[in-house]
Amino acid sequence: MSTLILWLLVLAFGGAFAAQVATRVRLIVAAPNTITLDHLGARIRRFVVNVIGQRQTIVERPVAGLAHAFVFWGFIAFAGYTTAEFLRGLGLVDLTHARWFLGYRIIITPFAVAVIVGILYLLVRRTVARPVALGEKVSVESVVIALLIAALMITFLLAWRLPPESVAGHVNWWVHSIVILVFLALIPASKHFHLVLSPLTVFLKSEELGHVPNLDFEREQVGLETVKDLGSKSVLDALTCVECGRCQINCPAWGAGKALNPKAIILQTQAALLAGHRDAKLGEVYSEQVLWQCTTCGACESQCPVGIEHLPVLIGARRGLVSNGDAPEYLGAMYNNLERRSNIWGLNYDQRQKFVDSASLETFDPTRHDVLVWLGCAGAFEAEYQKSLRSLFEILRSRNVRFGVLSKERCTGDTAKRTGNEYMFQELAAANIEDLKAAGPKKIVTSCPHCVKTIGADYRRFGYEVEIVHSSVFVEQLTRDITASGERVVTYHDPCYLGRYSGTVDEPRALLNRFGAQVAEPERTRKNPYCCGGGGGLLFADQEEEPGSRISDVRFKQLENTGASTVVTACPFCSIMLRGAQSSAANGERADRVPAQDVQFVDLMTFVNGQLNRT
Amino acid sequence: MILVIAESRGSKLNRASWETIAAAQQLGSPIVVGLPGAGGDSLQAAAAELAEAAVQEVVTIESPSLESYTADGYTAGLESAIRELAPGIIVLPHTYQTRDFAPKLAARLDRAILTDVIGIKNVDGALTFVRPIFQGKLTAEVVPEGLGPHLITFQLGAFRADAVARGPSPVAVRTLAVSVDAAAIRQKPEAPFQEGKQAVDLSQAERIVAVGRGIKEQSNLSIARALAEALGAEIAASRPICDAGWLPMERQVGSSGQTVAPKVYIALGISGAIQHLVGMKGANTIVAINKDPDAPIFEVADYGIVGDLFEIVPALSKALSE
Amino acid sequence: MKIGVCIKQVPTRDWRPQVNDAGSWIREQDASYETNEPDAYALEESLRLKEKHGGEVVACSAGPGRVAQVLREALARGADRAIHVDDEALGAADAFVVADALAAAMKDERFDLILTGLQSDDQGFAQTGVILAERLGLPHATIIMEIDIGDGGLRVKRELEGGWFQWVSMPLPAVLTIQSGINQLRYATLKGIMAAKKKVIRREAMPPQATPRQKIVKLYLPEKVKQTVMIEGTPDEAARALVKSLRDDARVI
Repeated sequence: MSTLILWLLVLAFGGAFAAQVATRVRLIVAAPNTITLDHLGARIRRFVVNVIGQRQTIVERPVAGLAHAFVFWGFIAFAGYTTAEFLRGLGLVDLTHARWFLGYRIIITPFAVAVIVGILYLLVRRTVARPVALGEKVSVESVVIALLIAALMITFLLAWRLPPESVAGHVNWWVHSIVILVFLALIPASKHFHLVLSPLTVFLKSEELGHVPNLDFEREQVGLETVKDLGSKSVLDALTCVECGRCQINCPAWGAGKALNPKAIILQTQAALLAGHRDAKLGEVYSEQVLWQCTTCGACESQCPVGIEHLPVLIGARRGLVSNGDAPEYLGAMYNNLERRSNIWGLNYDQRQKFVDSASLETFDPTRHDVLVWLGCAGAFEAEYQKSLRSLFEILRSRNVRFGVLSKERCTGDTAKRTGNEYMFQELAAANIEDLKAAGPKKIVTSCPHCVKTIGADYRRFGYEVEIVHSSVFVEQLTRDITASGERVVTYHDPCYLGRYSGTVDEPRALLNRFGAQVAEPERTRKNPYCCGGGGGLLFADQEEEPGSRISDVRFKQLENTGASTVVTACPFCSIMLRGAQSSAANGERADRVPAQDVQFVDLMTFVNGQLNRT
Repeated sequence: MILVIAESRGSKLNRASWETIAAAQQLGSPIVVGLPGAGGDSLQAAAAELAEAAVQEVVTIESPSLESYTADGYTAGLESAIRELAPGIIVLPHTYQTRDFAPKLAARLDRAILTDVIGIKNVDGALTFVRPIFQGKLTAEVVPEGLGPHLITFQLGAFRADAVARGPSPVAVRTLAVSVDAAAIRQKPEAPFQEGKQAVDLSQAERIVAVGRGIKEQSNLSIARALAEALGAEIAASRPICDAGWLPMERQVGSSGQTVAPKVYIALGISGAIQHLVGMKGANTIVAINKDPDAPIFEVADYGIVGDLFEIVPALSKALSE
Repeated sequence: MKIGVCIKQVPTRDWRPQVNDAGSWIREQDASYETNEPDAYALEESLRLKEKHGGEVVACSAGPGRVAQVLREALARGADRAIHVDDEALGAADAFVVADALAAAMKDERFDLILTGLQSDDQGFAQTGVILAERLGLPHATIIMEIDIGDGGLRVKRELEGGWFQWVSMPLPAVLTIQSGINQLRYATLKGIMAAKKKVIRREAMPPQATPRQKIVKLYLPEKVKQTVMIEGTPDEAARALVKSLRDDARVI
């Protein structure tokens, strides 16, 4: 009798589970396939470390992360127990009286306690502490699930005390089993679907941060215009979101009070998918304005513990808009500059030649030169940044590195790619690659992290592979034999495209320490810096019209708060944005630090060269 | 005979007409100055002014249809006058008005026209005209071909109005009545006007004085305004000035503000950060005044003064009003 | 509304001029080319008028084979089709020849409106649009800042010297030459570029009767190269020297 009832319940709740899962699987299958399986070894490693080991969850929020880890490990541990109990209840096979089962129950008991401690902590955190990242309203769904989990563990522990054949024992068993079935049926429609999906999404996440494949013009791809254009990985991502808010609170746009919220983007995607709005325009699902507030810094993606990739959605939606002529006006002007002048500023090429001549640079010749120095568009035209390049040239010459530059460079296409103008990007890339292949360098050194990413990673998709390093890495290797004394306190702003995208955080610090500086770290640093606000086309934005403050202003304050009076930068755009923030910052005396206007900005290369000249 | 077509609005002669007479005097003699209009006192007054030049005579080319300038009217009227006067060459100033009708007149007469000429040369007995080409990157020496009279328009400022030789006494002014069919004039012009000062459109300004952080305080804006006034320029600013609210946002020049292309742009205390530069790189002539000799603005400036703008700018305002 | 837009292909603004051996023209091999900027504004204006009033935009150009590039760029931005008067001699031709070539190819189209840039960045005659109007027997106006189309006619705002403007009314069909900066140029979208591949460019031969009206006998680099002139002296001296330079050399005041 009870077996029959259990069967009916299993079929009913199991059926509800299966039906809901089927809807979601259909959405995934209907989407254009964007799942890749390259770098299998790295993926497996990532799976083991982050899913099994829960590393990412713990690292950013240690206590809550550990609490979650307890719950997760508890789940894994209980899998065998739950299966055995149901097999017995359904009259299939009884493993629960085997000798090993008792031992198993003993082993998982401490897990049960850990789960209770963990879930209670998380429940209190969610309902009492109410961190911003978890949203404005308390999620009823989360509270219910938490109570169900607690009930499962409590009933398990009670089973030690209650004789199995007694009424109380039976009731306890049924409560436990029904709670499991209810839980099963609730999972798909809640954020707890991540139980099923997140191991998958973590495994399927691309090794490359901000993996946005090239559009195939032959197949008339234009980017993401409507909900049905979203790729299968993006659909998986939308369904797996745990609403933890790590992406949100690390987002520099959100941090500056703008409307962009990466968590909202993913949840809006989820809502549109589940509502079946296949033909809804993405520009309306997210509200277009929000899409242009992203600097592509990648904080969202790199913080996400369940492997969600936000950038393909954001940049993909941008592409859809740009392909239809709906880019904001300031970007349209920039695209015309790229088309007519091959640089984002729209300046004439004589200026680059003037710099090349005045710095006595040679045209790159593989038979005579060790490395090619890529100037980039800031290097070609921006007077402030050219000072930093002159420092780099001095360092290279003093260390007898023979180098040359290309006689003609075009913008790498970074800004075009990140803002969604794929056509412009591919035109520039193809032309640059032709010139680079003809020049034949084995190694390229550049001081612009955006060029490092674009030439090093994005050009690879066109079949062009070359070793390209940021000047900090190259110079660090060059100067290992030097030590300098000094106790100067500086602060260092990690460029997003260097720290987060390339993982290059140690070399700049090694250089600073080697040349007598102590680095006072700002609150967001190393592989999780707070963006300067220049990427993703925002360098050109009319930010006056938007709510909130400027991202660069927020970062400038963070750097000031370190108390250091010197800010070291390693990217031309960070330098432009932060200097801009400085010139807008209010002046005036302050007790604990120098006035904003007296903060010194110095590029890393200029700093190193200055110190080298002193020794 | 060299026919100069002068230009006037009401009784006011366009100064460029004098430059054209100077050019004509370089070409030779005799010179006849033609002044189109509808007759009346203002036209006669303008003609009397022209009569001071050392030319053969001044001819007012009159028809009621020439009261207001229209391309159709002027082409028809001047076509008649040219057939009547039979000049060997026709010269005009390269003004907006000339650009509107002279090519049509040339096409009507089926005669060559050389525009935007900056110099005259005699090469192996042939009259050769010098003009800038490829935005001034190259200079071309050109000869008109085919039957005369040819039409030549001279770039404003290429010849000096004050170089005109004046006659010992005013020459004769006569009227040449031309018949212009009013019904055949397809353009219906309204009165010319100047743009109101409500909306600030820096993108159309011909002269701009821009201030940057070097101005130090809001109260110092007055010296920049005085310079702008003396120059007949619009005032503009780099971003920090507008951020601080010292000037409205519409006056911001730069990548997140306005893009401007004036004839002259005077940058006071502006360092020349690239976001500002891209907004004003289209300026014809850039003047930079800054106390920092390494300021990037000097890389793009045509003229630069390193010094204290609080001393230089008032001196500049004074020099301009002299 | 059927709108014709005349576009010229000119060497890019970056290009450092090289004179050919005969001294009669530039070394074309060294140059790279782009759409003449005022013509780009004329094209943008025509596309906006089409969006407002309906109809079609036909991009027209007279030049050697290479000018097909600017026609394709125009098609990618939204022009519906193009006409190319193809002849090598048109590369260095004067305004009479170009206008005659365009007039011959365009007259049977019976455009309601023809727009061109006010002048080109290469030869800079500022004649072609006006001669074209005369050849087609159409009224015209030059250096236009704004266009207002009504019933069978239009009202346009001419730019005059010294910050003055003037509205002029004319019947359609008419020819207008457009001032730069009149609007915001759109960029070529991916969809536009893909669609352009299917659009038609009709090729025409040069008419036999076009005769040149001028000849370049010498071409050379001017003596002066752009350098920053640093003015020294006391504030009064520097101020006076600057005013003199602005007045006499730069001739901007």
